[in-house]
Amino acid sequence: MTLLSVPLMLDVAHQGAFGAVAAWGFGVLFNFDGRSLIWCSALGVLALGVRTLALAGGWSLEAASFAAALAAGAIVSLTSPQRGEAVDVLALAGCIPMVPGAFFGKAILGLFAVTAPAPAHPQDMAIFAIVAMTRVILTLGAIGAGLAIPTQMTRHRGF
Amino acid sequence: MAASADPVVLRHRDLEKIANVALKVGRVLMECGGRVSVVREGMRLAARGLGANVVGERVGYASLTLTVGAGEETITRMIDVGPHGVNYRLDVAVRRYATQLALQGGAPQEVSETIDRLMRETPRYPLWVVAPATGLACAAFGRLLGVDWPAFLPILAAGCVGQWVRAKLRGRGTNACLIAAVVAFLAGALGGFGARAAGSASAEMALIASTLLLVPGVPATNAQTDIMEGFPTVGSARAVSVAMIMVFATIGIWGAEAVLGLLP
Repeated sequence: MTLLSVPLMLDVAHQGAFGAVAAWGFGVLFNFDGRSLIWCSALGVLALGVRTLALAGGWSLEAASFAAALAAGAIVSLTSPQRGEAVDVLALAGCIPMVPGAFFGKAILGLFAVTAPAPAHPQDMAIFAIVAMTRVILTLGAIGAGLAIPTQMTRHRGF
Repeated sequence: MAASADPVVLRHRDLEKIANVALKVGRVLMECGGRVSVVREGMRLAARGLGANVVGERVGYASLTLTVGAGEETITRMIDVGPHGVNYRLDVAVRRYATQLALQGGAPQEVSETIDRLMRETPRYPLWVVAPATGLACAAFGRLLGVDWPAFLPILAAGCVGQWVRAKLRGRGTNACLIAAVVAFLAGALGGFGARAAGSASAEMALIASTLLLVPGVPATNAQTDIMEGFPTVGSARAVSVAMIMVFATIGIWGAEAVLGLLP
């Protein structure tokens, strides 16, 4: 897909819309108030949109997740004086849809498969599990770093 | 001389009240999902507002310790921390109150009562709102992972049931790891079976998407931030807890896959 093609824009819209819904749902679970839920959804759109564009540009999932978290963290940190406290949690909620929980499940299930009594292709399964686990660790690290950098570079540290 | 007339004893009693109230602020922030730096700042602001200096503090995963002082006198107190969760509105309310307290001051009894009132009266969404919202989040997660449309409603329903059961089990004080395994099995089996019944071609991914309500995203990123900010002990404890929750959730997923015949 070339940059700004119709299929890419549709993909960005799809990912952004469902990123917003996922962030909103987790916002309710985390007991966000109504106004913060709107912010949460907007950050979900932003994060998933940036990640989708970066992936389309050939970036790895880890690099794309870092860029998306950095964008969400920067927006929240730059506008924090208007909204008050706990901006760190707000930025994080917007990035929750990028947490690679499914990869972690696949990694553990791959390890289970390797240790089965008679695995069919143990080497392939082991590599699959290792790759999935590595992606979990690196993606989580990328999201955490992307969110932390803007917070650490501004005066607003939570209070 | 009577004990109550001894100024040193009186000062220690005052400091004890201040330490206990500041620890209460820290405990609420920790239980609401605050980072270590936020918990420390909350305790410092509360102690300052009550007229004492914080000489030192230790934030652990399951307990907090605080030493406060005034002049030559110091006192150290400790408090247990309950189960960690995420409660944004209470978190914000306590942060705001601690900030206001540091500026305007207050009395320990009054502050303690205000914290209790905030815990009691800060609004929470009822379970009949939270459970469908969580189910919707799981279904949206499913779409992000490439699940087809026929699986959308089954994932939504499974996530809803999973959150309902999780809340009920948590209310009964069930172990968090056990809850993860039970909810993963139940939601995963329901989501996978429902997706298959609805004619979905992505039943296995639907099964996993139905369990994503269990992913501890806030503790996972807090773990990293705590380590970055110089608190590796709590950060490591959080990371290990996250890993344990995910391992138990995966056991539940494995069980659901076995029931549905999806295991390789």
